[in-house]
Amino acid sequence: MIVEMSLYQCLECGKCTASCPRRLSGKEYSPRLLAHKVISERQDEAYIENSVWECLTCGLCRERCPSGVDFNRFIMEMRALLADTKGLKGYRAHDGAIHSWMRMMTAPHLKQNRLDWLDPGIKVASSGDVAFFTGCAPYFNVFFAGIDVDTLSIARDSIRLLNFLDIKPVLLPNERCCGHDLLWSGDIENFEALCRLNYTSFKDAGVKEIIVSCPECFQVLSEHMPRIITGFDIRVTLLLDLLQREMQPGSTVFRPLKRKVTFQDPCRLGRMLNRYAGPRELLGLIPEMEFQEMEHSGRGALCCGNCGFINCDASSKQIQVQRLQEARATGADFLVTACPKCMIHLTCTIRDPLMHGKKIQMEIRDLVSVLADQIE
Amino acid sequence: MEPLRILGICCNWSPFACYNAAGMTGMSMPANFHLIRVMCIGRINQALILRAFEFGADGVILLECTDEDCRYGPGPEVGHENVHRVRRILHLLGIRQERLVERTFGAHEKEKLVQTLWNFTKEMEKLGPLMAKNGRKREAVKS
Repeated sequence: MIVEMSLYQCLECGKCTASCPRRLSGKEYSPRLLAHKVISERQDEAYIENSVWECLTCGLCRERCPSGVDFNRFIMEMRALLADTKGLKGYRAHDGAIHSWMRMMTAPHLKQNRLDWLDPGIKVASSGDVAFFTGCAPYFNVFFAGIDVDTLSIARDSIRLLNFLDIKPVLLPNERCCGHDLLWSGDIENFEALCRLNYTSFKDAGVKEIIVSCPECFQVLSEHMPRIITGFDIRVTLLLDLLQREMQPGSTVFRPLKRKVTFQDPCRLGRMLNRYAGPRELLGLIPEMEFQEMEHSGRGALCCGNCGFINCDASSKQIQVQRLQEARATGADFLVTACPKCMIHLTCTIRDPLMHGKKIQMEIRDLVSVLADQIE
Repeated sequence: MEPLRILGICCNWSPFACYNAAGMTGMSMPANFHLIRVMCIGRINQALILRAFEFGADGVILLECTDEDCRYGPGPEVGHENVHRVRRILHLLGIRQERLVERTFGAHEKEKLVQTLWNFTKEMEKLGPLMAKNGRKREAVKS
């Protein structure tokens, strides 16, 4: 593993630690020291174990590393290894409720009621080649009702945009969670089970292409699923790519929106999938909209504070407050993001009664919702 | 057929007093009923209820004090809210909402408590075993 992730290439320059948002928010955590310990002080198991579960997996260290150490994958595989030998560790936010329902979804005979939210305003097909992957949106909507986050609106608006492009997607009544959070919390066994069940349900529906709006789901479906399922032959398309392809300047007319916005690059979309220009180009298509970058943006964007629903703590909150303050400093009317998790985490901080008095109130909208509201 | 696993999450005060009194007077209880005693039902959150199902419970019953009876204040209200939310998640998962119920008791109602447990167990036997069980139980306790 050390060789594969180029850990021996580490120069111990410490750029990773110096840029790590977790470190900067005051945690005793250092990617550089972790790499050093894994290479030459492997007997310090306690340190290695704790550090492996501390990481946010936001990928900023990998971005900054001059030697190309693949720190993200290192953490992912170390977690799987440790989970296998020492059991699942790491504090799971919301007491693991989210991981719980993901694991429950591995039951093969599940008959979910995940499509109750469909309304006649959006057109879906009962069969066809193209499917839309809703992911956990219906579940998050119920679970996070307390902080008033509407993740289903993202799914609804995605389908509205697809309808606008004359695509009537199939929605699968029994698709499972993509398993992203199980993968990143080391539970490979259940993750693979979810992948297989999802693949079977795609195949049973006769689907040839899956359109995904969530960057996490897209990353899992396009990168990890083919690794697990031999002969994976379904095309996975990111909704943003499709929109970018179809909505060229001049071909689509958006209604003007006289607002100033800023964009939060989700780590999965930006640093892992290298989609920086796409969302900005799409926002640029809306007439009269003004766009202002935050202090940290693009490759250096700050994490929304948490990933895979592990490790939410005071330090995550601090990162979120910093991010929201940066967003407000741009003078934007609302913050646009492209990942439901960013939306959940940042909204959670905005609604936190203990954060009262900190100037972080801000409207957060998903990119697809912004676009869907402006189509004519 | 393996007996169903019924889990009761029981508040330490009124419901447990009933349970204790029922045991002292030798009233018979369903053999497949397992009890977890907590200080207050307000301590239970959505995750713990979901986890009971994840770890193989076929039915979960929350035994609570009545609203005005809570020794700590808002316990049963927290219980109502959690049950309401978890039931919606169970519905999404395709699990019958009857598998999760809450009942309130005064400290003297041992007959009512025992009767409730029997009724709930019968109800679960009618529904049969839960299909949405995780076959691979890395975290689950050994049975």
